Amino acid sequence: MSSVIVITPLIIANWPAITAAVYAAVGTLGFAVARHAADGVTASRATAATRAEIEVEDSDILQDAGGTGQELVVERDGIRAIFSRDARGALKVCMEGAGCSKAELKRIGQELVGRVTQQYVYHRVVTELKQRNMTIVDESVEADKTVRIRVRNS
Amino acid sequence: MAREELEIEISPTGKVTVRTIGIKGPKCLDYAELLTQIIGREVSRELTTEYYEAHAEAHAARKIEVKQARK
Repeated sequence: MSSVIVITPLIIANWPAITAAVYAAVGTLGFAVARHAADGVTASRATAATRAEIEVEDSDILQDAGGTGQELVVERDGIRAIFSRDARGALKVCMEGAGCSKAELKRIGQELVGRVTQQYVYHRVVTELKQRNMTIVDESVEADKTVRIRVRNS
Repeated sequence: MAREELEIEISPTGKVTVRTIGIKGPKCLDYAELLTQIIGREVSRELTTEYYEAHAEAHAARKIEVKQARK
């Protein structure tokens, strides 16, 4: 071994790249995609539900031809997560769920955001390294859901 | 020659740890720069024995060159 570096990810992507990461991530936490709302059509908010919002600080959702009003809604056991782009261009997740505390919704939302970030990073790393003619020689998912990739310079 | 590899761990929160394997000397820092460019912001870096081994080898080679030049 010659060096160990730790990197915190920055999500800079267009909406399709974000939705791809959300689709790939949510299943691992038992969520299913309920709706992908078109530009300007926002999901109806559940009444009498607790809400919590999470802004993903290190993110920038690029404006593209598809507009900026899109939303992606995922659900699990009455808990709903609505992914969208906020006014500043960052990724925002609005959590809703009846019978859940705000803290509980925040915790679930943070977990979701983590998995989406993990999928985004995985896709970006694999794509970029393949473009540089590097080969993935091994890939595994650990019990704690850490993804491990071994890459060789070919 | 040892194989040059990278081991990349992506945690469930998205944090990434990259280990370079079999890459001696400053070349491993090129990989570190590349991965940082792709992923985001470097928060820590640790250079391990292999990095310094390569430096020591280069330093020893330079000493020999200097000695020979003086003769």
